[in-house]
This record gives sequence, C-alpha cells and structure tokens, in this order.
Amino acid sequence: MTPSASTPPPAPPPGHDPDRRSFLRSSAAFAGLTALAASLSPLRELGDYTSTEQFLQKYYKEMTPEDMKKVLRRITNEVERQYGIRPHVRDLRPMDGVEFVYALNLTRCIGCRKCVHACVAENNQSRSPEIQYIRVLKMPHGSMDVDKGNHTYDDKDVPDPGYFYMPIQCQQCKNPPCVKVCPVNATWQEKDGITVIDYDWCIGCRYCEAACPYWARRFNFTKPEIPKDRLNPEMSYLGNRPRKQGVMEKCHFCIQRTRAGRYPACLEVCPVGARKFGNILDPESEISYILRTKRIFIQLKEEMGTSPRFFYYFDK
Amino acid sequence: MITAARNYLVFLRRSARIAFVGDWRYYAWMGVLTAITLLGLNAYAKQLVHGLVVTGMSDEVSWGVYIANFTFLVGVAAAAVMMVIPVYIYDNEELHDLVIFGELLAVAAIIMCLLFVTVDLGRPDRFWHLIPGLGQLNFPRSMLSWDVIVLNGYLLLNVHICGYLLYCRYQDRKPAKWFYIPFVFTAIIWAVSIHTVTAFLYVGLGGRPFWNASIVGPRFLASAFTAGPAIIILALQIIRHVTHYRITDKALLTLRSIVQVSMIINVFLLVCEVFKEFYSGTTHSESARYLFLGLEGHHALVPWIWTAIGFNLIAMTILVLPVSRGLKYLNVACVLSIVGIWIEKGMGLVIPGFIPTPLGAIVDYVPSLNETLVCLGIWAFGLLCYTIFLRMSVPILQGRLSQANEGQPEIQGDEPDTPASFATPAPH
Amino acid sequence: MTGSIRIKWCLGALVLGFVGLAAAFLGDLWGHPPAHQQIALVDKSFLEQTPWRRTYADMVRAKEDMSDFDCYGCHDQKKPPPLRFDKNSILIVPEEHKDIVMGHGSHNRNNLCYNCHNESNLLTFQVRDGRELKFADSSQLCGSCHGPNYRDWEAGAHGRINGYWNTSLGAARKLDCANCHNPHNPHIPTRKPAPGPHALRTPVYEYQASRAPNP
Repeated sequence: MTPSASTPPPAPPPGHDPDRRSFLRSSAAFAGLTALAASLSPLRELGDYTSTEQFLQKYYKEMTPEDMKKVLRRITNEVERQYGIRPHVRDLRPMDGVEFVYALNLTRCIGCRKCVHACVAENNQSRSPEIQYIRVLKMPHGSMDVDKGNHTYDDKDVPDPGYFYMPIQCQQCKNPPCVKVCPVNATWQEKDGITVIDYDWCIGCRYCEAACPYWARRFNFTKPEIPKDRLNPEMSYLGNRPRKQGVMEKCHFCIQRTRAGRYPACLEVCPVGARKFGNILDPESEISYILRTKRIFIQLKEEMGTSPRFFYYFDK
Repeated sequence: MITAARNYLVFLRRSARIAFVGDWRYYAWMGVLTAITLLGLNAYAKQLVHGLVVTGMSDEVSWGVYIANFTFLVGVAAAAVMMVIPVYIYDNEELHDLVIFGELLAVAAIIMCLLFVTVDLGRPDRFWHLIPGLGQLNFPRSMLSWDVIVLNGYLLLNVHICGYLLYCRYQDRKPAKWFYIPFVFTAIIWAVSIHTVTAFLYVGLGGRPFWNASIVGPRFLASAFTAGPAIIILALQIIRHVTHYRITDKALLTLRSIVQVSMIINVFLLVCEVFKEFYSGTTHSESARYLFLGLEGHHALVPWIWTAIGFNLIAMTILVLPVSRGLKYLNVACVLSIVGIWIEKGMGLVIPGFIPTPLGAIVDYVPSLNETLVCLGIWAFGLLCYTIFLRMSVPILQGRLSQANEGQPEIQGDEPDTPASFATPAPH
Repeated sequence: MTGSIRIKWCLGALVLGFVGLAAAFLGDLWGHPPAHQQIALVDKSFLEQTPWRRTYADMVRAKEDMSDFDCYGCHDQKKPPPLRFDKNSILIVPEEHKDIVMGHGSHNRNNLCYNCHNESNLLTFQVRDGRELKFADSSQLCGSCHGPNYRDWEAGAHGRINGYWNTSLGAARKLDCANCHNPHNPHIPTRKPAPGPHALRTPVYEYQASRAPNP
C-alpha cells in the first residue's frame, strides 16, 4: 500500500521547476493575506462600538448596587461625550403593591398622533432612521381586524367620520412571547408588569421581534440619531437612555416616569384624554374604575394567549 | 503519551500542509473561493461598522437571507448524517467510507450555519452571553437556546467521529468500536433533532400564523432529506472525477432512493399546506396568499415560489421514472431539487412569515448587495472548508497519507504527469 | 501547455487577483450604507401638553385680568339682558359677544343662554334644580346634564389628568370640562394629525389601505 522507500522519485518532466512553483505558492499565499488584511479595512471606522467595560458588563439581575453605580457613571459619561449634555441616569426599581395597566378609550381617540411624538421626545428615540414605539391605525367602523388598518393616513382633518383610530404599542403582556424566546434573557417582565430590555445584554438576534404578535418591538439597524437639543436628560437604565446600534427597544410604559409616580408621556399629551393608566392593584385608581364599570373592553388578539395589560374600551 | 501527542501533531501538520498543494484546477478553485470569501468578509466588516441597515431588512421583515440560508443549511447538515443509516443499520460495506464524506459535509454545513447566525446578530461582540454558565442561556424556554446547544453539539459529534476514523486510518489501525459507534448513533438521532429544533424556532411563534402550523416540522425534514443527499450525490461524483477515489454507482443509487422518497413526501406536504391555507379562507392565510398569489399589488415572491414548485415537480417526476438511474438525469433532478428546496426554505418560508406584519402592513424585502456578498462569502467559505476536508481525507482513506510514510517526500499533488499518485487501490 | 506551466500561470493569476482585490477593498468602491433619510423633526406644537383652553378658574389662579368677566360693567343689574331670535327661532348672538359661536347640542337644542347663565345674576350659573354655581365651579354645571360623563370625570375615566398617578409622590392636576370643551360649542374640533411613520426601506410601498368598503 505504501510506496517503497528504496525507489528514487521519478525524474521531473521538462518545465517542472519546484523552486519557482513554491515561490509562486508563497507569493499567492502572501497576496491572499494582503487581501485578507485589506478586506478588513472598513473596521478602521468601528470607533466606539464597544469598550472592555461594556464587553464584560454583567447581566442586570446579577449586578450589585456598586456595579450599577459604575455602569450609570459610564452611561452618564458616554451621553455627555456624545451629546454635550450631562444626563441624570437612575436605576428605578419597581414599587411594591403596583401593577401597571393601560386602557385606551377608542370612542375618544381622534388619531392626532401626538402620543407617538411625545413618546419619541420623552424616550430619546432615533429620528433617522425613525423609531416610534406607538403605531396608530386608522380602522374602518365595524372591524377590529388590524389587517384592515391604515398606518400612513394623512387626513387633512382627524377624526375622519366612518373610522376610528387605534394606537398600538407594547401591550406588556402577562404571558409575553418575547420573554419566552429571548435566548439570553435580555428581556424579562418586572414585578410591576413592565416588560423591560437590558440594552447592554441584548445580542440583537431579533427573535423577540419575530415573536411579538403586536409588532411592538423595534431594532436599531444603525446608530440612532437624536438631535442634541431634543435629548431628554432624565433617564433610567431600563428605560429611555440612548440605545446603541444593534439592540432592541420598545415601549416600557415610560418607566423613568411611572416608577417615579408620574403618568407616561403619551397620556399627558393626549388632547382628548383617551389614554388611561394606573395601578390596577389600587381599587381607587381610574384604571380600576374603568375595568370595573365599562361594559365593553377588549384585548387585542386575545386568542394569542398573551394576556395583555392593555385594554381598549368604548364609552358608547 | 508524548509520542502520541507528537504523532497527532505531525498528523495535523501534514494534513494542513496538503491543503495547500494541488494541481492547477485545485489552485484555481481555492483561489476563487478565497476571493469570494474575502469579498464576503469585507462586506461583513462594513456591516459591523454601519449596522444591519446595510442589509435589506427592516422592522417589518426582520429576518432575511441570512436566516434563510441558515435554515437550508441546517437541513443539509442533518441529512448528511442521515445517510449513515444504511451503512450501520443495513451494514452496507459499499458506503462505509462515504459516511466520512457525508459527515465532513455536515461539519462544513454546520460551520456555515454558525456563520450565518453570527452575521445576523446585531451585537456579535456579545456572543458570550449565550454560553451557559458564563452568560444567561434561556434554556429550556427559548428554542434559540436549544439551537445553540444542538448545533454546537452536532458539530463536536461529527468532528470527533470524522477525526477519530481518519486518524485511525492514518495510523493504519482498526478504530475501536466503542469510541465511535455510540457517537454515530447519537449523531443519527441528533441530526433529526437539529432540524426539528430549527423548525420549532418558527412553529413556536403564535403571532405568525404562517409559521404556527404543525406541518412546518415534517416539511423541514422532508425537504432536508431531499436536498441533503442530492448535494452528496453531486459531491461524490465530483470527488470521483477529481481524485479517482472509488465510488460505485450503487452508492449513488442508494442515495437516489432517499431523495426520491423524500421529494414525494415533500410534494405531498406542499399539497397539504396549500389546501389548508386556501380552502377554509380565514385571514390566517394572508401570508400564504402573499406568497402564492400576491397581495394588494405586491407579487415579488410569486414567480419564485412557482419556479420552486415547478422545479420540485419536475425533479420528482424524473426521480420516480427509471430514467433517473442514469447519472445525467439523476444530476439534473438533484440540481432542480436543491434549487427548488433552497427557494422554498428561504423565500418560501422566512420572508412570507413577515408579510403582512402582525399589524397588517406590507413592506417588501430585497436583499442588498452587501447582504448578498456576505452570503456568497459564507457559502464560498463553506465550500473552501469542505474542499480542504476532502483534500485531507481522500489521501488518508486511499492510504497515500499515513503514519507509515512519514518522513518521505510529501506527495506532490500538483505533479500532473504522475498518474500513479491518483490511481488508487481499493480502500480496505 | 503542460500541467506545471498551467500551475504557474494559475498561481500568477492568483497573485494578481488578490492584489487587485486588496486594492478594490481599500478603494471602498461598493457596499456603502443607504443614504441618510432626511426626516423633518416634528413641529413642537405636537408635543404641547398645555390644555388648549383655559378655564375661569385657571385665569383666577394665574391672577390674570378678569375684566372680561365683569358682566355688570355693561349690563344693568336690575334688567336681565333680553334674548333675540331670528325668524327660524335661532338665537341671534349680540354684536358685543360676536366671538361666541353657539353649537351646544344637536338641532340647536341648547342654544339658549339662560339654560346655563343666570339672567338674574350674570356672575353665576343656574342649574335646573335651582342651585346657583360660581364660574369657577362650571364643571358641576356640565355634570347637571351630562351625568354619565361627569361620573366618569369624577373617577378620572373621562378627560385627562396630568402629573402624578401616585399622589403621595406629587401633585395630580385633573383638567376641568372647559379645559377641553368650549361651553358654547363643546364638540372637540378636528385638526391636522402629526406626520405619519417613515419606514426604513425606501422606496417602500404604501401600507395596505383599509380594505373595508366605506359604510
């Protein structure tokens, strides 16, 4: 099976020049390596993609208060460096005895989209490419089938008779499919019902975006762009601090406001008071009153089994 | 102990060196593949810097050709090992060595899968978050966590089996059955699991009615066992032609019957799917409507899916007829099957799941130039890997590269006038 | 060409090919990110939280000039101002109050000043049960007819509350009826909506239009 060691190798045929060939082989290999190095040349512009500190950063739930302090300091410095404004970044914890629920009065909503833009302003969302957590659908009378909705209506006057308007944002489901599918637990549900995202833990696989039945999650396809003069400096770690390229984000019930006891930005700007928010565990809250007294209220896509904490109701 | 380690290192070194040696066709092939790989690498570097905005994906269609190719290749990897079954269960000696070629294809395919998933990530620098213990792997709730485990496990299984069998052949000793047979049987079962887990990635999403159907899993396996062995049929013929390694037609015909039956099942499952989507007329079939008929003036995928169906039907007809025992017809059927199933798994599965969005919007998806270059780069890299694996394993299996001829002048595969290098006695 | 010469040519071509490729990479000739979308920033008026109307109570709180509400500066204390109607029995708003456009109730059912205003004491309102209300308590007047909405408003379900849902941490400000509704023409006016979404992929097809026929 093996060639005998005693027979000499055959005489090389004419034109056979092993030295030239191995020189060419090495040249080809060297040229290949040059091309390899050149192919990586765009990485020169990688810039502040990540830092050692960020690379090694722990998971939110495993951080000690000391770790969190360091992280908040890092974020504060990063934001100041990028926007020239020193922000106030906090890590707000959920309050005891609080479960947030949102209700939206479809009799009242006029489709003015002020909530969409108030949310963008409050939560430091990218203006270009545009990220908006809230999408208002113009729906024809008589149907709750979202497939019939018009996203890009540009009426001269709202509301347009014969239609109603349905704003949709993250429903903070009790049984969230996005939490179930995240491979790294970067998104989870907190005690007060808000489904949050640790922007420094997310790997950007977008499985949660595919899993959400309400199309509530947004991805940063590139570096988000926030105009310096529109930056909201009141930030929180799990909420509205500026995100990076390649991570997911979504409505978090204005966690930096609501965990400090305030109403979310979308509610405060609504000109017709269609938005209602509060603590469902407090029987005196307006949200408890609504769910107790209104005869018709629904959850979107109830058959999905997600059990949203977002209710749509009608007055008449 | 030291000699064992030294022998192993010499084996690795010699195998690696042989990858750089070949005739002009080899250099041309490897050169072109390297060039395409570098094009892909360059495109990926741009993607790292600018983000996934350089692809054609959007919030509406958030997965594209990367995940489509990943899905197809998981099937190929699974099927490559399934051809192991006739060898070990039916004790078919003819196919023994071909098992290694199949498993090496599986290794190359898994490498491609892992690369496709990596390039799809928004933050690949955070990959360590997926490592159980170190990171936060959401096992067992997230199907993606299952995928991470099964794919890497499968890679290790196949690398072990191939590496062990090849090293034993290199040392000209009989491999110890307990050191590879259990792994082979594990690999057979594991192969089914990798593709089922990948199917379950899609099936588990209740918010996407196009995917939330029990037929997805069986269709995945049926199409994988059509395309995978078809690729192997073509690969074996290329190996036979280039290295003159002895591969009988009988082996190819055994694979043909696998492709034949799987394609028939695949087509039947397609009929089932089409009936379910269109007969009852519920709004859950909007995505199917978009795919097969077009929706509200958007018909981008309609020609693709009907081409795929046409290819599959023609392939199935050829495979069913005895004329496909002839290699020319068989090869045509294989190529048609591979292309048809690639389209079905890619454009026919991943994209329609996103259109319309859960809120009813329709946004078309077109892969960008950058995205396409990355895909081509990964395919080229996979082919590069497989070629290198074959370049190393064929001489070992033929006995031309073995421990016994260590120290002798390395076989110069690029000597065109020494057919003695290529004429091989039958493997033992 | 013998095989070995072929190899040399092949390797030579590879060298040139790789060098050319390296040059092409460094030249950054393709694969640039898509052009930056110029999306206009939203007009700040769409971010306004201040209620579009100010009530009497708001003005008093802000210590503003209340001379407009000094009815008896023009009217005679002892003489209730008469109401004039045209030939279709539609109220004629006097020239001095021409800024008031009546539109309360369908079919002009409530376009009668003294349904709400008190002709004997113009500085108060009158309720059906004979009560008199100060201008600052106008919401109770609305509630005297609009019971269900008033009950909802009391509970916080109608209208808007700004500030803190957790009033132990801060103040909540519930808007009054007149902050949103013009008492003389209460229907919420239509307006131009804020701009719609700009999708990432351009050109992008129109989102699918509503499929239902217009009722």
